Amino acid sequence: MSSNDPAIILDRGYRNYEGPRTGRRGAMRAIVKEGYRRVLGLRRKAKGKLFPWTLIALALGSAVVMVAIEWVSSTLPVSLDTSDLFPRYAGYFDFISNVALLFAAFAGPQLLVPDRTHGVLNVYFSRPMGVRDYLVAKGATFAAVILSFWLVPQLVLHLGYAALSPAGFLSYLGKTTDILWKVPAAALVYFALHASLAFLAASFAKRVGTAAASFIAVLLGLNLVAVLFQEASSAPGARWTSLLALEQHPRYVRDWIFDLDSSAVIPAQAGFDPQASLLVVIGLAVISVLLVSWRYRRLT
Amino acid sequence: MSDAPTGPLRADASIIETRDLHKHFGDVRALAGVDLTVPPGVTGLVGANGAGKTTLIRLLLGLTVPTSGHVAVFGTPVAKDAADLRARIGYMPEGNCLPRDQTAADFVAYAAELAGIPSTEARRRASETLFLVGLHEERFRYLGDFSTGMQQRVKLAQSIVHDPKLVLLDEPASGLDPAGRDQMLEIINRFREFGLNVLFSSHLLDDIEQTCDWVVMLDGGRLLRSAPLEPPSDGTAVSVEVFGDPLPLVTALTAKGVDVTHAGRVVTAASPSEDVFITVRDALAASGSSVRAMGADLRSLEDVFVAATKESNG
Repeated sequence: MSSNDPAIILDRGYRNYEGPRTGRRGAMRAIVKEGYRRVLGLRRKAKGKLFPWTLIALALGSAVVMVAIEWVSSTLPVSLDTSDLFPRYAGYFDFISNVALLFAAFAGPQLLVPDRTHGVLNVYFSRPMGVRDYLVAKGATFAAVILSFWLVPQLVLHLGYAALSPAGFLSYLGKTTDILWKVPAAALVYFALHASLAFLAASFAKRVGTAAASFIAVLLGLNLVAVLFQEASSAPGARWTSLLALEQHPRYVRDWIFDLDSSAVIPAQAGFDPQASLLVVIGLAVISVLLVSWRYRRLT
Repeated sequence: MSDAPTGPLRADASIIETRDLHKHFGDVRALAGVDLTVPPGVTGLVGANGAGKTTLIRLLLGLTVPTSGHVAVFGTPVAKDAADLRARIGYMPEGNCLPRDQTAADFVAYAAELAGIPSTEARRRASETLFLVGLHEERFRYLGDFSTGMQQRVKLAQSIVHDPKLVLLDEPASGLDPAGRDQMLEIINRFREFGLNVLFSSHLLDDIEQTCDWVVMLDGGRLLRSAPLEPPSDGTAVSVEVFGDPLPLVTALTAKGVDVTHAGRVVTAASPSEDVFITVRDALAASGSSVRAMGADLRSLEDVFVAATKESNG
């Protein structure tokens, strides 16, 4: 066909597929990839990107600002230890805890609610996968998203501090190898708590907003109840209400991991060990897995 | 499934086979003792709302478990490996199944990946399939901006994008205007040339007549009929509408040994063994009846369905 020939549209018909099929694992990979895109608003309209990327910018921006302050202080004529003024690795968890809470409240429901309300579950379960595969893939997506949210800024902090260290980049990295397990371990505890509650809320709510609001209300409301009981009640059983301060448990475990003072944490004030907080988080995760699985088996 | 099979399930000739299939939801009987064999091709699944069509489709996909009885697709019992079977089955649900915030191309490619097609090939096939259903130009538009007809076509595209061997279509023309319905039926008719086997559920009998070569009729969870979709008339029956009393004609036809039924002034005579037109002509002459209208007995699928329902209800 020469370049002067008119263009024609051909009916290409239907092509059979004889190539390889990736099976359940391929389907689960597809769910993780698509879930990541959904939470971050990728391949979506601009309004779908606004909220998650604002929170990501806040988290990353904080890390960049901390590194910048470290750099400025290193150029001052007087020696200034910024670790007393600004949080480092452990403190960074507190510094962005509210931003992270909002991100988890948004991401968890985004992964589950639209599939249910738009009827997409009909498509998932007509493919070679089951409820368990679906939920495992969604859980893996949530883990990837949340851990990225916590760990990427921490990586920026770590590399920034290493670059500015008077001892030298490699020397700093060599001296702080414990960070490589402590930060991910603490992030995992935060993820376990947030994912448990966010998925539970998302499994029953009909709207993303309702699920996100329920998640935040439960966390903050129970925290308030625990504080009130701690301050007002002197009954022997009141101590146990401190365990209702769910939002405090990851913080207590993180302090344990980083070997920090935890006197301000409510379960510590009530005399519980950090292991008790870890057990609460694990218990919540198990209950969440059971309830979410039950809910989805009923749905299908 | 509690009952053991009473014999081997045939794997050669049938796409779908069920045996004494029961499904109850509490006290509600959705399917009751359905014995069914569906050959390759395009098959219509007919029944009123609540007849058990969607339940049968969900049983074929292994999404729900029979109360008792057996169901096999491609000769493989669904209970044995439903997930493996689903890789070879496409499903277009009756209700909504489209995320509003994805483009048609992204969603159909995603549906292909969920069925195990690698990512690059999935995108290529999504584009081709959307072309096939007439949405190539609109493939990068968001599904939330699509009309009902376009959404139905995307649902159809996701059901065939992974090259299934059997496609289950649950009320595919539901909610479409007449033009959209015709387009949908035209696409489904083309499935035959692509070598796709189709089970097409509908309560619109006209749609089934236009597209299918086999029909399965359900009513209240019972199987009424599973048979080839015959042409409207096979030339063995004649309907005559007479002026006045039809009984002399009925008597004359009965005397000639043909099967006679009458409703009002319309008399239907059927005889597979002889030329029924000549018999009717002779009977008319003998009885002296005056003819108002006469022709081959044109039984529509609706007539067949109504007759089968009456027969089933005794």
